[in-house]
Amino acid sequence: MFRPFTAQALVGMVAALAAMLLLPLVSTDPYLMHVMVLVMIFGIFASAWNLVTGFAGLKTFGHHAFFGLGAYGSALMAIHLGLSPWLTLWLGGLLAGAAGLLIGTPILRIRSMPHVAIVTLGFAEIVRICIANLSGLTRGEMGLWGIPQFQGFTLPVVGKVSFTPADKVSFYYLALALTVLTLFVIVRLMRSKTGLAILAMRDGEDAAESLGVNLTRLKLLVFGLSAFIVGIAGGFYAHYLSILTPHSVVGVDLMISIIAMVLVGGLGTFSGPLVGALVLTVLIEALRDLENYRLLGYGLLIVLIVMFLPRGIVTLRERLSFRQQEQANHGS
Amino acid sequence: MTNVASAPLLQVDAITMRFGGIVAIDNLSLDVKQGQILALMGPNGAGKTTTFHVIAGVHKPTLGRILFQGQDITGMRPDGRCRAGVARTFQITQPFEQLSVTENIMVGARPFYHSMAELRRASEAFADQVGLSDKLNVPAKGLSTGQRKRLELARAMATRPRLLLMDEVTGGVDMKSIPGLIDLVKSLRKDGLTIVLIEHNMKVINDLADEAIFMNRGARMVSGTPNQVATDPSVVELYLGEAKADVH
Ligand SMILES: Nc1ncnc2c1ncn2[C@@H]1O[C@H](COP(=O)(O)OP(=O)(O)OP(=O)(O)O)[C@@H](O)[C@H]1O
Ligand SMILES: [Mg+2]
Repeated sequence: MFRPFTAQALVGMVAALAAMLLLPLVSTDPYLMHVMVLVMIFGIFASAWNLVTGFAGLKTFGHHAFFGLGAYGSALMAIHLGLSPWLTLWLGGLLAGAAGLLIGTPILRIRSMPHVAIVTLGFAEIVRICIANLSGLTRGEMGLWGIPQFQGFTLPVVGKVSFTPADKVSFYYLALALTVLTLFVIVRLMRSKTGLAILAMRDGEDAAESLGVNLTRLKLLVFGLSAFIVGIAGGFYAHYLSILTPHSVVGVDLMISIIAMVLVGGLGTFSGPLVGALVLTVLIEALRDLENYRLLGYGLLIVLIVMFLPRGIVTLRERLSFRQQEQANHGS
Repeated sequence: MTNVASAPLLQVDAITMRFGGIVAIDNLSLDVKQGQILALMGPNGAGKTTTFHVIAGVHKPTLGRILFQGQDITGMRPDGRCRAGVARTFQITQPFEQLSVTENIMVGARPFYHSMAELRRASEAFADQVGLSDKLNVPAKGLSTGQRKRLELARAMATRPRLLLMDEVTGGVDMKSIPGLIDLVKSLRKDGLTIVLIEHNMKVINDLADEAIFMNRGARMVSGTPNQVATDPSVVELYLGEAKADVH
């Protein structure tokens, strides 16, 4: 993890990025664009959750609180303060990050994982109930609508870029930029000496501490950064859909899908959360025709993937080459 | 200033450590002088490992103080003590299982190198010193007990300590790598490191320690040269008693 990227890894990254950049040139079908925007929003969320759970080993189940805080924070600031969504997106992220530091402070004292899980889940539930009950501000369960869109602008070569429901391509590229930025930040962090300390903390807190790792500071850093990123994803979601309900952004089923994405893709890997977001989001769309059997099929596939690839889809190649080696060994 | 310079490197000052009703350490005091190798001996449950935990900051003692280089560090967290120059190995090894041998050591050496390449190279050198140079890229999960003990030692050395606490580093290590470990500890001492070791192997203690303290029930029972301690009637009686108990 701390060596320079291999040529193979670099080629893979460039190819994935190129494919994503070129996709709208192949098709700008609004439905395809919409699904891909959702994939990227969930991919950012999943990557940030993977940072705390997969890399830092803090098993939290309340990250949907930060998604909701970012979404409602950004939307309400844009509506009531008249600020541009281009600005409130980041402010919503900061709000979520601040909440992350706040909740991170008690969490980092708890060493028992079930307790951490319950405390974080409880925190998210409090956030959801607050949003639902502050109906004067948030319109509660009725839903917050009329959220301002991102203002358009003009780019040299490309021409006018506008963000309207009719023009999903600009949302697609904005989501792609945020995804690349998120991945860049996480990869840079995890491949640094701080990343080394984060992995050490995951594998053994006492040992890490005995080697000079300041657990408190590191947990706060990871928690705050992760919450900030999730908040930005939430803010983007708000201005993209321009309607929010407490359940859609702070519901526990959102958190469960994100966890499923990370487990299916590969916990504690860089690409796993993104691959998982792609596979599961596309899967649930593809299963729409099954109507009532949709969730059944979805659940079944998750179970199968986790059974046969317990470390996620991104370890598929490893598994295959291992099989081949075994067969070769048996053959000889 | 002269006072600080001549003061012992480590002073354990009247430590008592209780866990509920259990008294793991009972009013223990000891000094470790700069450059010394001190051995802690004693039967199972005597409080040796707990003494290390208290020195390294894992437990805050119920009573008493810890002074390091004349400074009171009783309230300091383990990571702060590491930075101050106290390093330790764990009796029950705690390798970072998913990290490679080199990466495990890199965690300890992290503050001293700017680039990853330098950090890696320095860490590989530490792995080489403890005889793990053929395991550099192996995840620590795949190491034997003896290899894990040596990895812990390398990791602790990489933090550039002034005081090294070694908790049964020869336990589980195969017999033929023990002379190598003894030579390594000797060379560490020559470089100015002060060492406290918990050991059951009398040959290792005789080869290395300047002084030995025999603990029983959380307190100092006998101290002196390793030979004095090993031949002390009360120590002999305690071990004979245990041996007899084992027979029955
Ligand atoms: N965290 C703890 N909670 C409760 N009791 C403890 C704790 N740690 C140690 N003890 C108790 O304190 C006593 C001293 O244990 P310690 O591990 O220090 O012994 P030791 O001398 O290292 O023994 P060994 O040779 O078996 O390693 C034992 O009775 C042990 O059960
Ligand atoms: Mg012990």
